[in-house]
Amino acid sequence: MSKAVYWMQDDCLRPGPGLPSVYVFDTEKLLKEKWSLKRIGFIYECLLELDVEIRKGNPVEQVALFAQSHGASRIITLETPDPRLQSQQKELARGFTLQVELPEPFVELKGRIDLKRFSRYWQRAQGPAMRP
Amino acid sequence: MRVQFASRNDLEAYLRTMFPDAEGGLSPLRGGNAAANRVLEAFDAGKYAATRNFLNGTVSRLSAYLRHGVLTLAGVRRHLLHKHRNLDRFLKFVQELAWRDYWQRVYAAEPDSIWHSAESLKTGRPESHYAAQLPADIQNANTGLACMDAFVTELKTTGYLHNHARMWFAAYVVHFCRIRWQAGAAFFLSHLLDGDPASNNLSWQWVASTFSSKPYIFNKENLEHYSSGTLCANCPSRKQCPFDATYEDLSERLFPHV
Repeated sequence: MSKAVYWMQDDCLRPGPGLPSVYVFDTEKLLKEKWSLKRIGFIYECLLELDVEIRKGNPVEQVALFAQSHGASRIITLETPDPRLQSQQKELARGFTLQVELPEPFVELKGRIDLKRFSRYWQRAQGPAMRP
Repeated sequence: MRVQFASRNDLEAYLRTMFPDAEGGLSPLRGGNAAANRVLEAFDAGKYAATRNFLNGTVSRLSAYLRHGVLTLAGVRRHLLHKHRNLDRFLKFVQELAWRDYWQRVYAAEPDSIWHSAESLKTGRPESHYAAQLPADIQNANTGLACMDAFVTELKTTGYLHNHARMWFAAYVVHFCRIRWQAGAAFFLSHLLDGDPASNNLSWQWVASTFSSKPYIFNKENLEHYSSGTLCANCPSRKQCPFDATYEDLSERLFPHV
């Protein structure tokens, strides 16, 4: 199996799969969204407890550099609804084998779920959510 | 980037140099798994349902850890089950976890729509009647309304706000000041430690009525009750409080075309 690294994104600041790991502060996004220092500091404190290299800049460039420095051709990361992260994942997939894993779901719901209102979702989710 | 720091002040000083455009300092709320587990252990889920709407009630304060995946929804649910064997007493709290899951699913279904109104406003006014920017007096906690100024001060200092305060503030911004929900949502995202576009923007839309069947509003009686009177007592605007009316009167004043 080819060598792999783990790209930790900001919705999964917990121990990863035991691979060399990197987190990148997306400086352009932080500026655009005017992130206060509190938000950055909170994430930083989470990262300090983890075995992860912390970088800042353009995530696509930084993750690619990190992977290259480890001689890795595979990048593992988690699925995210964030369109900016999704497009960064797509860019990385041009140069690397990108493996996007699914996070553990809160409840397993099969088939189509009506998301028009919470009440409709809850009709389906309440059973599995409350079940021991 | 550096990973060794002599103290939290040292970390803050380092981050200031690395992110010179970021406003303010560190929050008193700490990041990390150790802090998350302390908060989780301290949470008395049994008191949640009865007191959660009060500003001084029992709430979990887990949102920032959940937002960043330090803890997961499934993990918190498992923790409760392990501790109590049965979740029947914790329906309201499990439902609150489910809201977060729900918002994520809505976001995942249409990621590019998160800054667009999901439905039309039910306020009797078009979106063009709402201002695009959040005025400086609101952002600087200088409205003269003790409640709203306190919420902004707390938000900017700690990066956290009680959910009821978020709803009151959002209703004030969107319905009383007639400002687009996107302006308020963006302001929250720059400060909330738990800020994520799904829960945040869709909750703003729920208040605005673009993701609900009617606009959410509140009155002074409601705010005074759930804040235990602490905010209104010394409010400089107490003699001309804009929220001091019945719901019927407020609806007529705010939404005369509905």
